[in-house]
Amino acid sequence: MSNDSRQPLLSVANLTKTYVQGDVASPVLKGISFDVYPGEFVAMLGPSGSGKSTLLSILGTLLRPTSGHFFMLGHDLTVADEDELTQFRNRNIGFVFQYHHLLPDFTALENVMFPAVAAGLMQEEEAEHRAAKLLTRVGLGNRLDYKATKLSGGQKQRVAVARALMNKPALILADEPTGNLDRVSAHQVMELLGEINAESQTTFLISTHDAEIARRCQRRITVIDGRIASTEAASIGSEGMVTA
Amino acid sequence: MRQEIKIALRYLLSSKLQTGLLIGGVGIGVLVFSFMTALINGLTQFQIEQTVGSIAHVTVEPREREPRIIKADPSVQLLAAVLRDNTQREQIRPWQMALDTITADPSVRVAVPVISGNGLVTRGQAVQPVTITGVKPEQLSEVAAIAPAIVNGSATLDLDGVIIGARLAKKLSVSDGQTLVIRSDRGRERSVKVRGVFSIGIETLDERVVYMNFKSSKALLDLDNGISRIDVKLTDLNAAPALAEKFGAATGLKSTSWTEKNKRLFDAIQGQGSTGSLIKFFAIVTIVIGVSSALLLTTVRRKPEIGIMRSMGVSKTFITRVFILQGAAVGLLGALAGSAAAYAFCSLVYQVARRPDGTQLVPVDPAQGAYLFGILLATAASALAAILPARAAAHIDPVEAISQ
Ligand SMILES: Nc1ncnc2c1ncn2[C@@H]1O[C@H](COP(=O)(O)OP(=O)(O)O)[C@@H](O)[C@H]1O
Ligand SMILES: [Mg+2]
Repeated sequence: MSNDSRQPLLSVANLTKTYVQGDVASPVLKGISFDVYPGEFVAMLGPSGSGKSTLLSILGTLLRPTSGHFFMLGHDLTVADEDELTQFRNRNIGFVFQYHHLLPDFTALENVMFPAVAAGLMQEEEAEHRAAKLLTRVGLGNRLDYKATKLSGGQKQRVAVARALMNKPALILADEPTGNLDRVSAHQVMELLGEINAESQTTFLISTHDAEIARRCQRRITVIDGRIASTEAASIGSEGMVTA
Repeated sequence: MRQEIKIALRYLLSSKLQTGLLIGGVGIGVLVFSFMTALINGLTQFQIEQTVGSIAHVTVEPREREPRIIKADPSVQLLAAVLRDNTQREQIRPWQMALDTITADPSVRVAVPVISGNGLVTRGQAVQPVTITGVKPEQLSEVAAIAPAIVNGSATLDLDGVIIGARLAKKLSVSDGQTLVIRSDRGRERSVKVRGVFSIGIETLDERVVYMNFKSSKALLDLDNGISRIDVKLTDLNAAPALAEKFGAATGLKSTSWTEKNKRLFDAIQGQGSTGSLIKFFAIVTIVIGVSSALLLTTVRRKPEIGIMRSMGVSKTFITRVFILQGAAVGLLGALAGSAAAYAFCSLVYQVARRPDGTQLVPVDPAQGAYLFGILLATAASALAAILPARAAAHIDPVEAISQ
């Protein structure tokens, strides 16, 4: 694959995580290594409890690993301090979670703008413009001024996707982004993620235990009991999401 | 800061009931604070006016004669004789220089030379012991609050005139315009006319004191070149102890502050001041506890959102500011409302709570509520109260919050 000749966007090397509660130590990640290349659309599969969310939290710099390293855009993020991580996260990583976690008192537009204006990356006007464009892109151009609470589940999740895209991150980490949605909405959201990946070359790492969704991805990493059980390329297609 | 303000306000507006209650709580705290301040200050002023209004703030008098020690020859065993010199009267002489020195001090509103001595007043068969107080007619009101207490005649002191208390007038059965004979303890005698009768309500004053013209009293008491004391009124009552000391040093005379002469009153005023401070302190503590616990609830309720903000790369400082701003906003709004309510309430009490004779039932002074101070204090206290919730919010673990 041509990817191998390029620098990986994300490089994970022998990452472990052990939760310690009192005297009980529970190893959750037991040595994870893999690379993700720019523009890839990767599914992370595995049964519930296998450690997917833990891994995504670590890669998203929200959680510190117990040992090992991971590199993104040339930075060893396991050694960065908290302020550096906060800023890195803001500029380079977008999150989509199972639950949308929109700010309920804000409109769709304000929610999408937030990552940019809160960090002072853009002037309000510029941010508004970009947020409106993103919302239009996710099919909510007519819902800009709706309060977050007034939107349906699928719409909320699409706002969350637009928000994750706001600061033009290099990597979007999505933890079961369709886990809370009905079949139709889930399908729409996955279509959307795939389209965005194809359009903007934004890299996606999406955890799911839905085999149907996983089948649509370019590459699948399967985590079982804290280890990578397999990484396989999709059978058809070589760029982005499998369109079949 | 704009985004922080925006979020803080949205948070406050989104739970209107909680915010309303919180502002109400702060408001009540500030209401108590300002009302207590207005009450204590009003009460203090009332008491001081009642007492100090008719006395001097600093009294400058002749030193009590030091017993004179006659030293024996050093070689001989000490044989000291102590004598008290009673040959001279206690008086300030010369007095003009001391008076000028005191008057020159910028803290002095007025310094009044006063003649004072004992005597007997007779009318017919009735004889009454009195204290004669001689002042210049135009300075009478500086020495005592006589003018407003006049019940008969007027507060004029011509050379032949005296002003006497109502009880004395009754005992002697005299009124305005009638004649008395007054005889000093120096054996001099003079017949005078009653120009006014006052009733201050203090028994000894109403029965004992006779006010007289400065010049006439000097002659009557045989004080040609001296005076008995200087009564000083200051612009600031609280400066009395310090100034008393200063005047004492400057004139070499005995100089006493009203706080020393009225120790019981002074202690009572201080006591009620401390009680007031305690109540005010608890009002502020209540505000702090209320704001702190309400905002802690908010952090719990907003935990997932705060987690997601942190995951989006919002700093801890940002989250901290959002909560401090909420505290400050609630504090400011509550304090403004509370101050307005306190002012309205004080004014109402001031106007309505009066005795039939028009005097105040509750001596509240609406002008002395220290409103600005109350507003600043409550706002600062609320902002400080938000520190704990703000820290809690900033330390929310995003992973835990998001997985909720
Ligand atoms: N904060 C934590 N403390 C202790 N154990 C945890 C914590 N978070 C997750 N775990 C445990 O780690 C394991 C992996 O969890 P998770 O990463 O959520 O898996 P997945 O997302 O694949 O379902 C589970 O057994 C879970 O109970
Ligand atoms: Mg999970």
